[in-house]
Amino acid sequence: MVDVYPPSEDTYLLMRAAISEASAGDSVIEIGCGSGVISASLIGKVRSILATDINPHAVRAAASLGIPAVRADLFHGINSKFDLILFNPPYLPTEDGLDLNPEDDRWLSTALDGGADGREVIERFLKGVKNIMSPRGRLLLLISSLTGLDEVQELARRSGFNTEIVAMERYFFEELYVLKLRRAE
Amino acid sequence: MRRDLMEILVCPVCRGDLELEVFEENEREILTGRLTCRSCGEVYPIEEGIPNMLPPELRERR
Repeated sequence: MVDVYPPSEDTYLLMRAAISEASAGDSVIEIGCGSGVISASLIGKVRSILATDINPHAVRAAASLGIPAVRADLFHGINSKFDLILFNPPYLPTEDGLDLNPEDDRWLSTALDGGADGREVIERFLKGVKNIMSPRGRLLLLISSLTGLDEVQELARRSGFNTEIVAMERYFFEELYVLKLRRAE
Repeated sequence: MRRDLMEILVCPVCRGDLELEVFEENEREILTGRLTCRSCGEVYPIEEGIPNMLPPELRERR
């Protein structure tokens, strides 16, 4: 049984992008922190860090690494502005459902399942995330080619963001991307 | 959770202000407690030092 998504290639790709993007004055929030290793890698490098996850096992894991953690649905319940927002969302399309044991691995499924087109959670996230973004805020979003790079960039544009690819890695079945979003002028 | 986290938490249902009750606290943080929305009355538990800001319909999964 897997309670928390174990750090994987996507985790480390977003971690490297976050370390390279973060500056000492940033207040940072990580949405969907999972094990908490990305937030932990920023401790001491930024002004403040906060982590949220919907999974109780994940927020406990993050708290045990010394990160202030809140159990929440995305950012709902958080009323503040952040300079850097990190999100490794559930991004896999699951037309036929994920091939996981639904009872044992239900939290793993929550971590991966992006709905029929892979973009359901991302779409919901992009609609509200400006409320927690400071004027100079940046957002790093991890996605896969399976999520649809063009489609996600279009969603971001429609939500009022400029997008830029800041990291990419190729694997057998997919490419992983880190997109950097800022408010469109 | 540390007490200063109160400055940024709001009710996820109605965005109302929250009232804090502390049941257990050490020198660093609140371990057990309860947050109650002053507007809609919804209650959010703090357990093992972590506030649970999920709306009631999402809260039951463990």
